[in-house]
Amino acid sequence: MSFLELRGIRKTYPGVLANDDISLHVEAGEIHGLVGENGAGKSTLMKLLYGMEQPDAGEIRLNGKRVMIANPQDAIRLGIGMVHQHFQLVPSLTVAENIALGAEPRYGPFLNRFRLRRQVQALSEQFGLQVDPNALVSDLPVGLQQRVEILKMLYRNARLLILDEPSAVLTPQEVESLFGVLRRLVAGGCTAIFITHKLYEIMALCTRATVLRRGRVVGTVQTVDTTPSEIARLMVGHEVEAPVITEAPADGRRRPRLEVRNLQITSGSRRATQIDLTVFGGEILGIAGVEGNGQQELVEALIGVADGVSGEVLLDGESITRVPTRTRRERGLALIPEDRQTEGLSKAMAIWENLSAGDYYQQAQGLGVLPLGQMRAMAAGLLNRFDIRATDERVGVGTLSGGNAQKVVIARELMRDPSVLVAVQPTRGLDIGAAGFVQEQLLRLRGAGVGVLLISADLDELLALSDRIAVLFNGRIVAQFPRAAATREQIGLAMAGKTMSENIL
Amino acid sequence: MKSLAPIIRTVLTILLALLVGGIIMQLSGKDALNAYGVLLNSAFGNPRAIANTLLTATPLIFTGLATLIAFRAGIFNVGVEGSLYVGAFAAAWVGFTFTGLPALPLIGLCFSAGALVGGLWGLIPGYLKARLRVDEIVTTIMLNYVAILFTDYLVTGPFFVPGMANAMSAQVAEQAQLPRLVERSQLNASFILALVSVIVVAWLLRRTTLGYEVKTIGSNPLFARWMGMPVARTILLVMFISGLLGGLAGAGQVLGVHYRFVSGFSRGLGFDGIVVALLGRNSPLGALLAALFLGALRNGSSTMEMFTQIPRDLIDIVIALVIFFVAVEISFGWLKRRTIAAATPEAEQKGQADGLA
Ligand SMILES: Nc1ncnc2c1ncn2[C@@H]1O[C@H](COP(=O)(O)OP(=O)(O)OP(=O)(O)O)[C@@H](O)[C@H]1O
Ligand SMILES: [Mg+2]
Repeated sequence: MSFLELRGIRKTYPGVLANDDISLHVEAGEIHGLVGENGAGKSTLMKLLYGMEQPDAGEIRLNGKRVMIANPQDAIRLGIGMVHQHFQLVPSLTVAENIALGAEPRYGPFLNRFRLRRQVQALSEQFGLQVDPNALVSDLPVGLQQRVEILKMLYRNARLLILDEPSAVLTPQEVESLFGVLRRLVAGGCTAIFITHKLYEIMALCTRATVLRRGRVVGTVQTVDTTPSEIARLMVGHEVEAPVITEAPADGRRRPRLEVRNLQITSGSRRATQIDLTVFGGEILGIAGVEGNGQQELVEALIGVADGVSGEVLLDGESITRVPTRTRRERGLALIPEDRQTEGLSKAMAIWENLSAGDYYQQAQGLGVLPLGQMRAMAAGLLNRFDIRATDERVGVGTLSGGNAQKVVIARELMRDPSVLVAVQPTRGLDIGAAGFVQEQLLRLRGAGVGVLLISADLDELLALSDRIAVLFNGRIVAQFPRAAATREQIGLAMAGKTMSENIL
Repeated sequence: MKSLAPIIRTVLTILLALLVGGIIMQLSGKDALNAYGVLLNSAFGNPRAIANTLLTATPLIFTGLATLIAFRAGIFNVGVEGSLYVGAFAAAWVGFTFTGLPALPLIGLCFSAGALVGGLWGLIPGYLKARLRVDEIVTTIMLNYVAILFTDYLVTGPFFVPGMANAMSAQVAEQAQLPRLVERSQLNASFILALVSVIVVAWLLRRTTLGYEVKTIGSNPLFARWMGMPVARTILLVMFISGLLGGLAGAGQVLGVHYRFVSGFSRGLGFDGIVVALLGRNSPLGALLAALFLGALRNGSSTMEMFTQIPRDLIDIVIALVIFFVAVEISFGWLKRRTIAAATPEAEQKGQADGLA
């Protein structure tokens, strides 16, 4: 008898069969991987299990007993916990308050802070999840925020842990420590379902993995008996080729396309930064760094939405420092922002509307009338070209799967043939096929003489794609390496703030 | 189907309000069925009743449109009432000053003046919000008082007409008075202008760059900024149009009903625009229907009072109930999320994070 058993689960959304006759066994004490292309139905299945959505057909059995999960409270009562890909913490509350939110120990009507602190401390010691219960969540790096999310599940006595793409936002070190935590939890009697697009993570962490394709289970594999490429083949239905990394074009074509000189941002309480860098045409400059070391400030200054900026930004030799955002984009600056939900998309609007956000005004005819039919047709073409899986271009972006939403951003930014592309974590949340596609696009742009600034916490991606790598620490570029000279160790040290002046170019 | 659901929900909500209103009437010893019968008859029973319903609805259509276009952009403009007053006075002033002009140019000039002044009035809080990031709710509420008291000062001071019992301006030239559409009713040509405005606003929101910008800024202002949309310019433009529609409402009342500016004449027509926008779910066509509905209740209740023992206050209670239930119904999705969130904070942002996880 399996610990968790799903039988014939089916879920439709208007026009979409998100889950189709899904059957799945999860044994007690295993970490079960769940993989599949963007839009394959992974998040949907987990939402059903967590009571956020109701299946149209099928049943869920826990320890052999059929259970009804009408809402997340039911799920919690049954010992099911879930960490969503986008953390759902209250930044202004402390760690302890977040962990207990809604289930606090009380003295009559009052919060029993003393007991709360003791409980949280005990919990974090029990599971080896060190985190200061009194720290404000807004002060914590993502890795620790995720720890808080996990503690939140454990505080509610979850025995089945669902993690939806937990590693997407983490640095490699943080991923390692997450794995350690999960292994300990499983050794302590928990069971976990782990969603990821990174197959080596499945190989390293999971005993078995189930592969979904277009809403259906195409197979469950033992990780010891298989290889990542075998899983990838199951996922997409054919062989997957890694993008071919080509060499940068000859130096003759290289001219500075984006120059940042002595850029300082000192707005409000934010970290002051001081950045100098140059991106040449036909190269990918990778920016490595732990999140929160000035990446967001740099991006805001480049696209022109930051206050309190001094210094100079040149695009193809011309200053754009005091130029509005729209003009920057018109001059060829394109941006894939880090947070697609807030900066990159408007969830309440249709796909075609989101795809038009950069050039709608250029299409306007007399009196500002928009050629809606033409815009929709163009959007439909982009859906095709960028393989965005959606019923059609009129559906709301908010109903897309995470990866498909990301592809909408990418399609919009790449269709205009930019002169400089700033890409922040461009493959976050994308399946291997789509990530490969985006990487190929970056390389294609590089080949066409575009300057690409790739900001990422994913060292592997940076090492694979970048021609040079600069390290951002504490608001400054502390080191730069040509790709040939860059090693993970050196970069890792620089990311931690250990300056090595001998390596600076 | 997608667009039908909110209509059905609104209708059900209204029926619920009418039911509760009926119970209240019954409890206060009135025959509710009879009252609603009389009400219906007074609102739609004969051509004149219908005309008066449309007449009552006319300013509500304008102010509803004025409010919803701002709402769509995420601007909570409570200042339509102020624009209505200054617009009304401007229209009246043109109407009693340029008495030598022939009818059409004069009427056009009156409406243009009302629209322009109302729009400029809306630009004040618009500028404060767009450039200085001052919250518009506070400024628009305060500016309403300024507009009401300032126009009152104008007709008691510089434009005082001796021999009048109330504070009011001189009458507008006869040729500036709008033609009536139905005999023995004050229903006038401004109703047609209101219908045209519905079409124009709907077209603006659906088909133009401005409408696109309004939608984007209203749904995700941060995204709009990162995409380089002219956010400040759009806020200014929207506040101008909102004020302009408020000014048209005022001008219509002056030229079509009162024929002069009367101090304090509106008594909240601008605020009623909020109800209309809410009830009409921020859509121009919805606002038209909502204004007609509210117009029918108001017009019906005043006639009803003349023929039955039922005070119109009871109908005001029904109107208040409608507003209350609609507001509750609209917040219900949000409420539901909150209740789930109380048990599981994860669900708090589910609505926002849906599908993007
Ligand atoms: N609320 C919704 N309304 C309509 N369609 C939806 C909704 N939520 C999900 N879908 C659709 O269901 C399908 C499965 O989506 P789901 O989010 O489960 O994919 P996923 O496997 O998690 O993908 P990703 O790896 O990109 O996160 C997609 O086609 C998506 O567009
Ligand atoms: Mg997902």
